[in-house]
Amino acid sequence: MKRTHIAIIVFIAIAIGAIMVTINDASTYVGFAQAEDQIGTKYTVIGYLDKEAPMDYNPRANRFTFTAIDKAGNKQKVFYNQPKPQDFERSEEITMKGFATDSAFVAEEILMKCPSKYNEQNEMAGYDTY
Amino acid sequence: MEYIGEHLLPGEVGRFSVSLAFAAAIVALIAYYLNSKSEDKRYQKTARIAFLAHAAGVFGIVLSLFYLLLSHYFEYDYVWKHSSLDLEKRFVFSAFWEGQEGSFILWLFWHAVLGLILMFSARKWENHAMMVFSAVQAFLASMVLGIFPFGIKIGSSPFILMRQTEDNLGLPWTQVADYLERFPAFMDGSGLNPLLQNYWMTIHPPTLFLGFASTLVPFAFAVGALLKGDLKSWIKPAMPWAFFSVGILGLGILMGGAWAYEALSFGGFWAWDPVENSSLVPWIIMVGAAHLLLIYRNKKTGLRAAFFMSILSFILILYSTFLTRSGVLGDSSVHAFVDLGLSGQLLIYLLFFTLGALGLMVWRYRQFPKEADGDDLSSREFWMFIGSLVLLISAFQIIFSTSIPVINQLVGPDGWIPLMKDEMAPPLDAIEHYNSWQLPFALVIALLMAIGQYLRYGKTSSKVFWRGISLALALTLVITGLFAQLYDFWRDPLYLSLLFAGFFAAISNLWFWLVVGKRKINFAGSSVAHFGFALILVGALISNARKDVISQSKVFLGEGLPANENALMDQGDTVEMGRYMAVFEQMETRKDKQFYQVSYFDQSGANEASFALEPFLQMSEEMGPTPNPDTKHFWNRDIYTHVTYSSYLEPVSPDGFVNEAEVKLNKGDTAIYRNHFVILDSLSVNALFNEETGDLKAAKLTAHLRVVNPMAQEFPIEPAYIIEGEMKEHRDTILDLQQMKFRFDDVDLESKKIVLKAWTKQEEDVKPFIVQKAIIFPMINILWIGCIVMVIGSFIAVWQRIVQGRS
Repeated sequence: MKRTHIAIIVFIAIAIGAIMVTINDASTYVGFAQAEDQIGTKYTVIGYLDKEAPMDYNPRANRFTFTAIDKAGNKQKVFYNQPKPQDFERSEEITMKGFATDSAFVAEEILMKCPSKYNEQNEMAGYDTY
Repeated sequence: MEYIGEHLLPGEVGRFSVSLAFAAAIVALIAYYLNSKSEDKRYQKTARIAFLAHAAGVFGIVLSLFYLLLSHYFEYDYVWKHSSLDLEKRFVFSAFWEGQEGSFILWLFWHAVLGLILMFSARKWENHAMMVFSAVQAFLASMVLGIFPFGIKIGSSPFILMRQTEDNLGLPWTQVADYLERFPAFMDGSGLNPLLQNYWMTIHPPTLFLGFASTLVPFAFAVGALLKGDLKSWIKPAMPWAFFSVGILGLGILMGGAWAYEALSFGGFWAWDPVENSSLVPWIIMVGAAHLLLIYRNKKTGLRAAFFMSILSFILILYSTFLTRSGVLGDSSVHAFVDLGLSGQLLIYLLFFTLGALGLMVWRYRQFPKEADGDDLSSREFWMFIGSLVLLISAFQIIFSTSIPVINQLVGPDGWIPLMKDEMAPPLDAIEHYNSWQLPFALVIALLMAIGQYLRYGKTSSKVFWRGISLALALTLVITGLFAQLYDFWRDPLYLSLLFAGFFAAISNLWFWLVVGKRKINFAGSSVAHFGFALILVGALISNARKDVISQSKVFLGEGLPANENALMDQGDTVEMGRYMAVFEQMETRKDKQFYQVSYFDQSGANEASFALEPFLQMSEEMGPTPNPDTKHFWNRDIYTHVTYSSYLEPVSPDGFVNEAEVKLNKGDTAIYRNHFVILDSLSVNALFNEETGDLKAAKLTAHLRVVNPMAQEFPIEPAYIIEGEMKEHRDTILDLQQMKFRFDDVDLESKKIVLKAWTKQEEDVKPFIVQKAIIFPMINILWIGCIVMVIGSFIAVWQRIVQGRS
């Protein structure tokens, strides 16, 4: 057997290792309820903004507080130690990476999905999109 | 119906150009195919004319779209969405490729340019390589066709009118003949995203897309060779193109990093974002492919691997396009495109070329020549081969992790074949996840880049090897020790090894050029490129591993909570930031930008500021305030700052009263507001009746309240609430001394109480403040110098290979 073949086999082994580790590393999307079962463990929660609840950014503490509703419909208060992301009110969906505490979910990173520009023309022409 | 004020001709020209480009590419494909079968000169002539017509079509598309954008014809959907009247002329390029259609056109354009060069330079490879080019171009042109045969959407055209888009079709305003004049919304476009209004957006996409396009050439040669059955002679003409691709795609990616660092507020130059990853991975594979081509040219081994990697790079470009444009990355990337409903078409495109190319390889597999053993441990080619494998595996790791959303679509709970119970989410800490894999790979690559320089093709005697390596090794140890001491690397074995390997690679390549290459410029390509790459590794390592968030708060809110990385700075107050004392001086508004001047003083107590920075917020209605960093560059470190919030963004009420409070009171109730008692003594009603009908016409309700301060001083107030039919009016009372405003807001019929609202005056002497993030990146200049050096080296290599190819 040629050395090259041995090398290729070794690398295939590393590739399989990479897949296994990545699958282990990969978190799963959960709801707030599941995150609260394991306080302090990091999770990714997908939800949307509760537009009825108050939103507040306190620049002195640099803490943004809002309420999110996850896919199961559970409401949770969320702390985010960053200024309010741009266009936060318009977001359709919020992906929050962080962990639960006794009182609130602490998000370390937030990604938003915003509606595209595509409906604007109609809104601006004075028509609703239906 | 005749619409008024529309300019239909340039759009028609554009659409005709798309059809021409599409049809001519197919004609060229067929003619080249027939020519490859019969070698009839007439077919070749037809094919060339067809491809020239195709290129003319592509240039026609480009010109029409530019014409529309420059003329501000907002009846066109693309023009409306991506430009506006006040857009500066120099940003018209950015507007051109902001949208998906525009970037497809940019891609088409570069393919057409490269195809024309290839057509006249590939000689005996023209037939087969151009066949591949034409097929790719036919597919690409179909992405901007924008037709709906049998209800299936094929492509998305940038030449479509707003009233003709899928979303708008059938809406009432599309039936208004003078809609352009009647609705103000159509007189100006919605404008270009302010984040993209800078020169990076002008130069980065065309460079990157030229890089994408360049990977097609080695692919076309490889697939052409498989079609033709001539498996060896393509290597030589493909080689300069492979190095060109390494250089230009590398440049495009690095420009993206520089853009992110200079003008965006991600806080660094690389974040392992899926969009970044998907352009990095084809580059890594192309580097591997170029080295495998080199091995084959020198030692005639590893042909299969050379084929595989040359094909894979372009396939990965297609896969990246699919990832970033099908909307599949939606949850995991900040800057993926929106789905235009073309994902099916993109998937067909991807599968056609993947299965086609790999199928051809399998079909020709038995015809691959038997190769001599090329695996002597002291040979250069063996270690180059190993290096290419490391690159392959590194690329595989990145693309696998980036593809998690795709895996969910395939085998997730809602996917095609539901194998998994839960959806996989991308790694929580992406940077750490990728670094934990890519740092060891980088370490191995750097060591191979170093040691490979002391090895010869075939066999190397140990004397030659040790004589070369010992001096470089000694020098490396000294320099590594110096930097490890300066930047405190002794405690991190992995970082320390990478630092060593990076310097070792840099010095070894320098040695190779000086000693083996005899300082000849036409020998310098690989050495210069490797030297640059080694500097990139060292620069990235030091600047990232030793980056210092100097705005980080030293107070932790609680265990496990992330420390606050943003500092609050009141105007005029001194805030300690690392080795500096920083002062927020003032805000200045220039056009749509708020500039925040921050001075930095050395801690020694100097009176003069050592430097000042002006990060700004770009204000736009559409995007809100967008931070733009400002960076102070020193030769050995950068201080990178951006404003994340400021008091100028806080909502201000017109009369200056803020902090609304609300209370419900019954007669005799007392409320406490800001250290004052508020007592409702009585209510009085004045009613006005219609004299004829006796109906209630208007009523004025007055609340008689007392406000009592802590010194027991009483202030009577009488806010009133007037109802007249549907109209409601408030007569508020303002207490000047206390700076309070009271309003009889409403009557709560349920509890039979009155609703009282109160405000206090905003303190006028409230100091403006900003919230700022500041990071020191040490030695980041090594990274940028490395980038430039690597690109120069790649282009020297291209030139070398062209010269060699001629001789």
